[in-house]
Amino acid sequence: MSYRIAVDTGGTFTDVVVADPQHNLTVNKALTDHSRVFNGIREALGVTAAGLGVSLDELLSQTSIFIYATTRATNAIIEGKTAKTAFLTTRGFKDTLVLREGGRPNAYDFSVAYPAPYVPRRLSFEIDERVDAEGNIITPLNEAQVRDVLRELKALDIEAIGVSLLWSITNSAHERRIGELIAEELPGVPFTLSHSVNPIIREYRRASSAVIDASLKPLMQTHLKNLAVDLKAAGFTGELLAATSFGGVMSVEALGERPIYSTRSGPSMAPIAGKVYGQAELGARDVIICDTGGTSFDVSMVRDGDVVFTRETWLGERFLGHLTGLSSVDARSIGAGGGSIAWVDPGGLLRVGPQSAGSQPGPAAYGNGGELPTVTDAATVLGYLNPDNFLGGRLKLDVPASRRAIATVADPLGLSVEDAATGVMKIASEAMVQAVQEITVNEGVDPRECLMVAGGGAAGLNIAAVVKELGAKHVLVPRTAGGLSACGAQFSDIISEYSATLLLDTRNFAFDRANDVLADLDRQMDAVAKDLETRGVLGIERRYFVEARYEGQAWELEVPLRGNRFDNQADVDQLVGDFHAIHERIFAVTDPGSLVEVLFWKARLTAVVAKPSLVAGGQGGSDTPHASRIAHFEETGSVRINSYDGPALSVGSRIPGPAVIEEPTTTIVVYPGMTAIVTSHRNYLIETGV
Amino acid sequence: MTNSNNVRSTLDPTVLAVIANRVNAILREMTNTLLRSGRSAILTTARDFSCSIVTGDNRLLATAEGLPVHIFGSHLQTETMTRLHTDIRPGDAFLHNDPYSGNTHAADHTILVPVFVGGKHMFTAVAKAHQADIGNSQPSTYMPSAKDVYEEGALIFPATQIQRDYTDIGDIIRLCRMRIRVPDQWYGDYLAALGSARIGERRLIELVEKYGPETIEAFVEEWFDYSERRIAHALKGFKSGTYSASTAHDPLPGIVEESIPVNVTATIDAEAGRIEIDLRDNIDCLEAGLNLSRATSVNSTVTGIFNVLDADIPHNHGTIRRINVMLRENCIVGYPIHPTSCSMATSNVADRLINVTQSALSQATEFGVAEGGASLGAGTGVIAGKDQRRGNAPFVNQLVITAMGGAASAMADGWLTMGVPVTGGLLMRDSVEIDELKYPIIIDKVVAVPDSGGAGKHRGGASTRVEYGPRFANMSVAVMADSKINPARGAQGGLAGRPHYIALRDIDTDVETEIASFGVFDVGVRQRIVGIDAGGGGFGQPWLRDPARVLDDVLEGWVTAASAAQIYGVAFSGSDQALAVDASATAELRASLAKA
Repeated sequence: MSYRIAVDTGGTFTDVVVADPQHNLTVNKALTDHSRVFNGIREALGVTAAGLGVSLDELLSQTSIFIYATTRATNAIIEGKTAKTAFLTTRGFKDTLVLREGGRPNAYDFSVAYPAPYVPRRLSFEIDERVDAEGNIITPLNEAQVRDVLRELKALDIEAIGVSLLWSITNSAHERRIGELIAEELPGVPFTLSHSVNPIIREYRRASSAVIDASLKPLMQTHLKNLAVDLKAAGFTGELLAATSFGGVMSVEALGERPIYSTRSGPSMAPIAGKVYGQAELGARDVIICDTGGTSFDVSMVRDGDVVFTRETWLGERFLGHLTGLSSVDARSIGAGGGSIAWVDPGGLLRVGPQSAGSQPGPAAYGNGGELPTVTDAATVLGYLNPDNFLGGRLKLDVPASRRAIATVADPLGLSVEDAATGVMKIASEAMVQAVQEITVNEGVDPRECLMVAGGGAAGLNIAAVVKELGAKHVLVPRTAGGLSACGAQFSDIISEYSATLLLDTRNFAFDRANDVLADLDRQMDAVAKDLETRGVLGIERRYFVEARYEGQAWELEVPLRGNRFDNQADVDQLVGDFHAIHERIFAVTDPGSLVEVLFWKARLTAVVAKPSLVAGGQGGSDTPHASRIAHFEETGSVRINSYDGPALSVGSRIPGPAVIEEPTTTIVVYPGMTAIVTSHRNYLIETGV
Repeated sequence: MTNSNNVRSTLDPTVLAVIANRVNAILREMTNTLLRSGRSAILTTARDFSCSIVTGDNRLLATAEGLPVHIFGSHLQTETMTRLHTDIRPGDAFLHNDPYSGNTHAADHTILVPVFVGGKHMFTAVAKAHQADIGNSQPSTYMPSAKDVYEEGALIFPATQIQRDYTDIGDIIRLCRMRIRVPDQWYGDYLAALGSARIGERRLIELVEKYGPETIEAFVEEWFDYSERRIAHALKGFKSGTYSASTAHDPLPGIVEESIPVNVTATIDAEAGRIEIDLRDNIDCLEAGLNLSRATSVNSTVTGIFNVLDADIPHNHGTIRRINVMLRENCIVGYPIHPTSCSMATSNVADRLINVTQSALSQATEFGVAEGGASLGAGTGVIAGKDQRRGNAPFVNQLVITAMGGAASAMADGWLTMGVPVTGGLLMRDSVEIDELKYPIIIDKVVAVPDSGGAGKHRGGASTRVEYGPRFANMSVAVMADSKINPARGAQGGLAGRPHYIALRDIDTDVETEIASFGVFDVGVRQRIVGIDAGGGGFGQPWLRDPARVLDDVLEGWVTAASAAQIYGVAFSGSDQALAVDASATAELRASLAKA
């Protein structure tokens, strides 16, 4: 039992990363088969097995851990293909999901319609009951009315139920009783109670968590079960784990009970890879991770050795999609990638995106009938991509078609095709520069002091230019860049989170109440830890956080706690001091005279599991180019450059730009004035020359 | 591709695009800082603030993501700063809230930070934020009945220096702390605005250092030219001509007994790509707080224009070169002279001016917009009282729990959580739980009202019914709601939205008594204040609405079956979830509606 397999199933590609007994990582890709996800996995695994000199059966039967990340849940939500779900809430508040928290993408854009609620109004039901802010029952639960509603749901063939009552975070009795009544009246229909999935104040977020979670249960439980069945049939007898939006893994059974944790689990894995590579190569504790695919660019962040979390995770566009309400890995996504379309607006300005050619028809270069100029076409025109060795030679790029496409923006601007293509690359890079700045500069982090780690199939085209524009000295492009999220899954631990809402002011600090909340979080963790210890984890770590603010502020900042008890005023003063410091870092001001209040309490349990360690690359190889071709750069114009076969390069090779390095799953452009170094782990460190 | 695409520029077009993006990124960072570090709910929830960047020679460069009612005027404020102060240097900051020299209204404290590079004043970073209190004679920043600025009582700062060498000028801070009722909150919000402007300063200096002052100066001119080309191009799609429209704000009993008319006349020269809006045919200023300032007269008008244009067009000096707004002195939608009060210049009449401008222009473009609901009623009431849970500590706060449906347009139904038109829907709604945690109130209901959005091919945004009251002791609720006598009008055949409604309900008798639209009301523990805000106006004839969408409206409870038949001309077969459109009966109903 010695292999570990990690899989990231995306909308288009399935990435598979296998760690062999010597801890070597191999990445392969196959097209995703949405009807049976194991088909794509098997195809990619077959290629890997052949490379390792074993059969697929041998590989699977000798695999101890299989980690699965998927966009299935996210895509089902965006495409509206989840279960027929009902929403039960307190009398007077059926529009909680309709009204949300306000906000609009653009104050002047009257062409955008207001988004439909996650559950339609016709499937939202009010229950006679009410609890107040202190947890007192003002109106008792009318059980007869609940049963009437549930019978109505039965008649409507409801497939899942989300229950979120006002103040269930201070008194959950009514929600729990409704859960019992559902089990009686509608046995077998899955449901989610808001206080149990996400016990936070702010009724929209909690309700959103509950209905999203419930709506995913039928689908994800079936999906995960099918995968388990297929794996077993293929001879796999190890442990099957699933990736979560916390950047960790959990058992597939547990995920089936909380499928909302599966949303955006793929992008949540990328920073784990960035953390491991950054630490191994340069001892970096502040890492920015960029993942470039065909249609999206995801950025996440590791700060002081910890992956950064957020409570603002939107499925779909901000203000138009749905907020999960959960605390999860802060992986921000912008619509920019190889397929982004360039155009000239009515004022004569060159623009790139947000429209994308997607995979159908795709860039003009793909020869599938695409005529609009894309970033991939710009890279083709500029000679960055090898027309004969794209996707390992599976797709021959049509250079004349790319030139014709780019000419449609070059002509009105009075530019040569090459200059226009350079402009397209630069503007595409600019959107990425801004995405990185928003997750760093806006949070008080200087990107120049961070290590950038880049992944994704399209990453190599312009990431070095993006990093240089940000003013950073270097960027690390792992050899496994083509499957960064799956790679991250190889290095992930079992993580679970517990939270509670309790408003406390730090001037008249209620020590007992604070310690009670923390002790309750510990009790919840004790139960889980006990179970994990029987499963052979290496160690268990507990961490505690609060979300705090100055009195009157509407938004909280996360502050790590230094222990799980408050024994004296000094402990409270420490928390207040830590809050001021974080406020200063992010907002450039502090208000030492102001009262600090704490609203959320959070604990994270990490069970450390055995995982591969990065091993030094073997000897052999050389630093000589395998071919040369003409490429165009802003600084040099059109010049002949060397191209290198990545896997054939020796450790320590220094590749001076301009040059390109061709890897099986990505192409890395080394711009003029930059140098790429093959590290001891056989990754690429590009020095930007800044 | 159009001819206007073939424009040659002296600056590399890629550099133009990149720097423009950078400037917007700076504004986003300034905005984010103010939003997240601000102290009062009016900033952090209602988002009543904006950031902008003005050139050293006082031309508006960028205003991304700001509240519409703030978009125009910061260049007038910086002009006041450069006129009054001859020794401006790095480290300075100025406080400006003078509505007679460029500010919106006195409650908007604006921080101006001049940005120097190589000894040259290249930009001014501007952060404008509505304060919870400004030292008025009453504990409110809205003074509808104030006869003049003296009766308002606000401290007025016409670009008063508040920092030198990056350090507060204690005299001014102490003056404010003595006269502003919530001094700590004011200082917290001042810090948030100052921090925002200082972040703008830091980033603008980095930008100039990166590209060099010559490139940046070239960028500024090119960007204005580009923006001007964009609006000129957009206006070519309009029908040339002169278009008038009128609307009216409700009376204020005891102050103004009749509806207050607001008229605009727009003249469009599509070929020349120019638009002129004449506001001079309006009544003189009132002896009340409702008058607009110069800044809000102009920016409400340009907001109405921008609302019917491509939202991608930048809003700056270059765009405004193609817009001529004609104002007169002492006009309610012109410019007031000191000491005329314009305490309420950012709402009420300003909402009406946006509405009437966009509905006038709906006659000239395919892309029209109706009027938006505009009622600062119970759902946005200012509550005040004492909290028994906290040793009877006093509280005062404006709630934002309501929806206030937006205007329908030629392309979409009205945005549901639009707030009032001056906010552009950017404001956030309160969480009911957060409100109940912070204040001793109980909220019984926030539910959308059927048939409240104006009917039309595109439906106006719906309004909500809200009910709430105090838990332990009486509290006061202040309202100042328009759109009862004059609900939001529809455009191009669309119907008006629902008028607003405010009442007090006695819990024991269940008797509901309607109350006035303006005023401060006492609410007891056995009472609830009840409000339905105004719905948005519809766009286009209702019987042109897609029957499938009317079906969905009925199933979702936005439209009643009766209205579907009588107003939209859609007949159904089946019932409940099996409801379906009866095509032939619908065709008959629609034919008769079209004839009528």
